[in-house]
Amino acid sequence: MSILRLIARDELRLMARNRVAMIALVLLVLLTLVAVASSWAHQRSIAELRDRHAHAAETAFDAQPDRHPHRMVHYGTFIFRPLGPLAAFDPGVDAFTGNSMFLEGHRQNTANFGDVRQSSLLVRFGQLTPAFVLQVVTPLLLIFLGYGALARETEHGTLRLLMLQGASRGQVVLGKLLALGAVALLAGVPAMIGLIFISGQSGALALPMLMIALGYAAYLAFWAVLILLVSAAVRRSRDALLALVALWAVTVVLLPRVASDVASAAVPLTNRFQTDVAIARDLRTIGDSHNPDDPHFAAFKQSVLDRYGVSSVEDLPVNYQGVVAVEGERLTSSLFNRYAANSFAAQARQNGLVEAAALLSPAIALRSLSMAAAGTDFAGHRRFLEQAEAYRYVLVQRLNQLQADAVTYADDTASDAGADRRKRIAAGNWQAMPDFHFVAPDSTVLAAGALPGLAVVLGWLAAAALLLVLAARRLGARR
Amino acid sequence: MSLLRHELRLLLRQRLTVIALALLALLTVGALAVGMAEIGRQRAAIAAIPAAQSEDIGAVADYVDRTKDAGSAAYYSFHPTWDAPAPLAFAALGMRDVSPFILRVRALGLEAQIYDGDTFNPELALPGRFDFAFVLVFLAPLFVIALFHDLVSGEREAGRQRTLDALPNGGRALWRRRTALRLMLLWAVLGVPFIVASAIAGVAAATIVIVLALILAYLLFWVGLAALVGRLRWSSVTNAATLAAAWLVLVLIVPTLANVAINAAIPVNQGAEIALAQREAVNGAWDIPREDTMQRFYARHPQWADSPPLGPEFHYKWYLAFHQNGDESVAESARAYRAGLEARDAAGRALGWVLPSVGVQALLTRLAQTDLTAQLAYQDRVRAFHQRLRNFYYGYLFRDQPFARADFDRAPRFEETPDG
Repeated sequence: MSILRLIARDELRLMARNRVAMIALVLLVLLTLVAVASSWAHQRSIAELRDRHAHAAETAFDAQPDRHPHRMVHYGTFIFRPLGPLAAFDPGVDAFTGNSMFLEGHRQNTANFGDVRQSSLLVRFGQLTPAFVLQVVTPLLLIFLGYGALARETEHGTLRLLMLQGASRGQVVLGKLLALGAVALLAGVPAMIGLIFISGQSGALALPMLMIALGYAAYLAFWAVLILLVSAAVRRSRDALLALVALWAVTVVLLPRVASDVASAAVPLTNRFQTDVAIARDLRTIGDSHNPDDPHFAAFKQSVLDRYGVSSVEDLPVNYQGVVAVEGERLTSSLFNRYAANSFAAQARQNGLVEAAALLSPAIALRSLSMAAAGTDFAGHRRFLEQAEAYRYVLVQRLNQLQADAVTYADDTASDAGADRRKRIAAGNWQAMPDFHFVAPDSTVLAAGALPGLAVVLGWLAAAALLLVLAARRLGARR
Repeated sequence: MSLLRHELRLLLRQRLTVIALALLALLTVGALAVGMAEIGRQRAAIAAIPAAQSEDIGAVADYVDRTKDAGSAAYYSFHPTWDAPAPLAFAALGMRDVSPFILRVRALGLEAQIYDGDTFNPELALPGRFDFAFVLVFLAPLFVIALFHDLVSGEREAGRQRTLDALPNGGRALWRRRTALRLMLLWAVLGVPFIVASAIAGVAAATIVIVLALILAYLLFWVGLAALVGRLRWSSVTNAATLAAAWLVLVLIVPTLANVAINAAIPVNQGAEIALAQREAVNGAWDIPREDTMQRFYARHPQWADSPPLGPEFHYKWYLAFHQNGDESVAESARAYRAGLEARDAAGRALGWVLPSVGVQALLTRLAQTDLTAQLAYQDRVRAFHQRLRNFYYGYLFRDQPFARADFDRAPRFEETPDG
């Protein structure tokens, strides 16, 4: 045990004497702090801005004057996707998705005004967040500090000296691993403190935070093990450095991009234009509420008349125009949902392909883990879109129902000078409409989403550890 | 010449060099193929517009033809616009994966339509695309480092440096020869596949020459950096570590830091404000006297002011007029929004003057017309086209002309010209 500690302490002392490495470590810690601070400030200001906009939109909706309910269907409402506290650690796709959405009748709009279309070209170089620093920068720093740990000893022949002094190969490797692990811990701790600081106010997120901490710890441990593995396997420290930088570039920088391109080529998405045309086509085959001879709406009209036991729409106790609006919205929404489900399924297949590439790159696995736990992955955005659509549907149908119940058919179809006044219903109805509240997923859902990624990262760690054990046995054997 | 050939033989005997060059060639060809496939998909999507559009507009015509109502025609007709990729787009996909290149608009308020996006998977966009620009900006420097970090120090460590310095044609001439050889090989590995791809895509010769010069300049920057580090007479391994650290800082860290700084220094929040204000202006028209709306509209567009006055019943010319009033009421915010985007973009590109990685990316996306400037130019074309659409429908509405099936064919069609 003391030999282990001795070797680890020696290695650390050597690193400490390497001035460039020390500067790099200090810079990394500084970078992490800048990332935590800026990411937190960014998240706070975005959350505050969206909150303010959402509030303005709700107030405007409630303040609308007496109106015909269908005017409110078109007036619609704006909603803004709130940003969870963990988004300050890993904002995930937030910048790449629109965050405001206009909800109205008859139409399903896109989420607009995402950062990616509002930033300079620099946004595509990456975003400075604690997650980015830990996923991309920290492994490279560990490489710089650790590539020579074993290769240097074999290259200079000092490994034999160590062994002559009674250290076993396993102890040498383990001691060096301890030293590099300590550095990894040192590099990772500021971001983790930042994570706790960022979301300290909400203890409810303890489980996803634990997943994030575990995931990143396993990821950095994997790199420490891999660095020693390569350092043990090659004979010259320069080769170890080049091989490790190449491995880093391939797994962290190259593969995530290649995986994305392969996925988007393998599973093409239907664009909005084609989707809109297809929905219009389907709608025509189901029924056209504008066409008086349309079979679907003719049958629908008969069913409404039968239900109330009357022979003409004028005799109905409800406003037939409103009843048709409810039916029309039901039809269009069912189509929206079907096409949205298809698109979501296609995107999920794409993401599945990328996650399969995590078997080639632990960085991809960690990224999915991190975004899933923070609730900022595709699933998180989808949650928002689905809740938005559910809210839109309920809101529009309540307004349509108001048209059916509170506006008479005679008034609704009149076009005399006073008709406009008679068609309007009291403004109090708008205030009675519920506001949109995004229901954030509870922490077990977030943690469960992060599990597959964690499993893959741990698998990588186990595989690298196993290989390191094998490599340690043969350490220096060829010399 | 024979000296160069000799050096080449020496170089190609090193396994690391051969592997590195082969890998870079593979990545270059792969990235070019991926880019061309993506642009091919985008062209196919654009080529598929007319068939779907004629089906869609045919159905609208069937419906409108019953009433011959020009207002219904304006309300229900969506007109496609598209942003065809430039020949070089395959090399730098830029924003084309996150910004729409097909957008349908109708003659209603444009400010509620022009910021719409298309369907894309944000998780795929997040890491960025694997295109030629990525290989050049991000990966090529790593290969420069692999080939150049031990150019002199390797010989020194092998104990050959003094001998080499003493040779005829040795010393500086030798290092120059070796540097030039490695540089030319890297340039060729990046440039030759690029020339082939560009020839297939029909890129103008002048553009190809500019890109080739850009590749060479960017490689030269990294070679120069490697030479500078080499002059410090450190060991090969220290050189490699220093250069890799420089790469990390110049390609990853400074751009991300600058992005944070630019977005904080130039806030752009008008997007949601435009959307909210435009909606208020448009919907508010239902609650004010209709004559007020028309007067405001006629004051700005006197060419329609001789239209007959409104009757008690609904008329679409009033509806379209308040939509245009709504657009005009937020024109100032829309200009500010655009100015904010341009300011951010300009700041990003200004960084390109001091940061080669950003400069190369900016220049490539500009040449490929896939940057923000190109996006805004597309929006301008959409705006111009939308103006033509409005004038077209207004001609029927304000003159109370019937709109028959044949009139659908008279509607303006989007063209790839600056006037839409």
